[in-house]
Amino acid sequence: MYEETGCFDPNSMAEGGDDGISQSVKHHKEDDAAVSAIELELQKHLAFNVEDTHTQSISINSNTHSIHDPANQNHQILPPYEHSHSNWDSGVVSADHMGGFDQNENDQSQQSFINTDISSSFAQSQTPPLLNLLQFPRCTTSSMLPPNSSISFTNPDHHFPVPPPTSTDVLYDPLFHLNLPPQPQPPLFRELFQSIPHGYSFPASASRAAANSLFGEIGDERDATGAFYEDGDVGVHLDNRVLEFSRDLGCIGRRRETAGKPTKHFATERQRREQLNGKFKALKDLVPNPTKNDRASVVGDAIEYIKELLRTVNELKLLVEKKRCVRERRKRHRTEDDDEGMKPLVDPADQSYNSSLRSSWLQRKSKDTEVDVRIIDDEVTIKLVQRKKIDCLLFVSRVLDELQLDLHHVAGGHIGDYYSFLFNTKIYEGSSVYAGSIANKLIEVMDKQYAAVPPTSCAY
Amino acid sequence: MEFVGSASTQSCITQKRGRRVYGDDRDFKSKNLTAERRRREKLSNRLLTLRSLVPIITNMNKATIVEDAITYIEKLQMTVKVLSDQLLEMESSSEESERPRNDEINAAEEMKKHGIEEKVEVTNVDGCKLWIRIISKKKRSRITKFLEAMASHGFELSDTNVTTFKGATLISSCLNGVYSYKIEAEQVKELLQEIIKSI
Repeated sequence: MYEETGCFDPNSMAEGGDDGISQSVKHHKEDDAAVSAIELELQKHLAFNVEDTHTQSISINSNTHSIHDPANQNHQILPPYEHSHSNWDSGVVSADHMGGFDQNENDQSQQSFINTDISSSFAQSQTPPLLNLLQFPRCTTSSMLPPNSSISFTNPDHHFPVPPPTSTDVLYDPLFHLNLPPQPQPPLFRELFQSIPHGYSFPASASRAAANSLFGEIGDERDATGAFYEDGDVGVHLDNRVLEFSRDLGCIGRRRETAGKPTKHFATERQRREQLNGKFKALKDLVPNPTKNDRASVVGDAIEYIKELLRTVNELKLLVEKKRCVRERRKRHRTEDDDEGMKPLVDPADQSYNSSLRSSWLQRKSKDTEVDVRIIDDEVTIKLVQRKKIDCLLFVSRVLDELQLDLHHVAGGHIGDYYSFLFNTKIYEGSSVYAGSIANKLIEVMDKQYAAVPPTSCAY
Repeated sequence: MEFVGSASTQSCITQKRGRRVYGDDRDFKSKNLTAERRRREKLSNRLLTLRSLVPIITNMNKATIVEDAITYIEKLQMTVKVLSDQLLEMESSSEESERPRNDEINAAEEMKKHGIEEKVEVTNVDGCKLWIRIISKKKRSRITKFLEAMASHGFELSDTNVTTFKGATLISSCLNGVYSYKIEAEQVKELLQEIIKSI
């Protein structure tokens, strides 16, 4: 945030001038599409509670229009910039609240204005995590550290009391994790690591990696933000500990561009990896039959599952259509019985709907049972493999009756430890059972039976 | 991306290969290199396939592919749920009671037409093992009732096969008595005939 106004905004403000707001917005838009995407991800997976903080952050980003808009409790994650745009449109009224903002190309006054607003906002609420998220990939406090800076974080004595751990977490976590198993780092990282004094005594456990360091960074960001605004020498009642950054970060801000990408990666890199892993895990949890746990097979399973879902959707759509046609036809029949049986005109239409062959296939696995259901038109073929324990034929037969399937053919027996059966069935007319329901029901019944049977097996 | 890939593969493979031996670094690297490369290619191919399936894609990097896939899957699941609920409610409001009778009547007629007779055959193959063969008229859920009756009499059926043809059902199975006494084939035959008549 501070780098927005502090580093970048001076340039952009100087360029555009008139409407500093739109400038920064444009600025935002250009650079932060990726940021918003990342923010989206972070939001989703870290489940921030961003009610008023969201408002705050957006407002801060959008130069505080929306702070004055308390109705802005919309914490949808959708692009914050659009959100803020709408704020602005509505919040034009509060433009005059800005004082001489519009004319001001002077970032100082802008900062001071923002200072007051931010101070008020900070006074009101807690950390705006979203704010910091937005800034996150571009410029974090750690990324602000150029390799050769001498930042003294360990002498708060002449400034302020020792900051609580969270404030400087971010600085330590990424560094700290460099101590972990050696990973190939770009040389810059090592340089950075070495250049920073080892006198860091703040607790920074590596375990507080992704989620916590994010918070840490947020705390940092906020403080740094406030600190930066302190440059304007406006009396702000922020956490005092922040001030120690201000001078250093002031110079860092300008040097940010020279630092280059690798330095800011090494804080975000880990987070990105962990986020990626989290996503893979989420994908795995969605899929019904997860097999192996490595990334390639998770993706493979997801591919199969998507195909299966598409098949199911098609099947269901077809079924719904059929049902609707049948219903309509029946209605017409009923009404036309009085009319001496005029052939309903909907018949040809029905034909076209019903002529598409319904086909679907899916598999489901549970601990002891594997079910494979294939449907072509009205014939259902079910393959069932089950660990030998119960008399499954009876139960399956019952289930098939419930599902209105007419058993035509059963073949199978027990092979080694397993029962294996193949059921050929036909769907009774008018039943609208679909592949998913069959499979799920079967698995459910099988598992229930397994649970019901005591461990001592039967006498086969 | 590349860096990310390699870094993550490092973390992934540490459990398999442990720390790298820095002594024979070069050999180790080259042995791994092809395998690692293949692994990465496999993953990226699959990711490409995934991306090709998902209609709404935002950015083209690993993270967003996965994320978009997640969103898409959830969307599809929601659609499935909506459609199946719709189907259920349509089903509950419709009436379909006349059909089964038609089937049964047809079945009986067909059997007569083709000269298939109802029959029960029982052969004793071992002490308490019997092979049975039943030809009967096809009726709705008859098989279930038959199996239930078998279970209630204490018979266990193994290697059961069922076929249908022209309105007749053929059940062939191997019957094991749970109780170890010898079962007479004749008795069983009569029992079965009774059962068939009753269901």
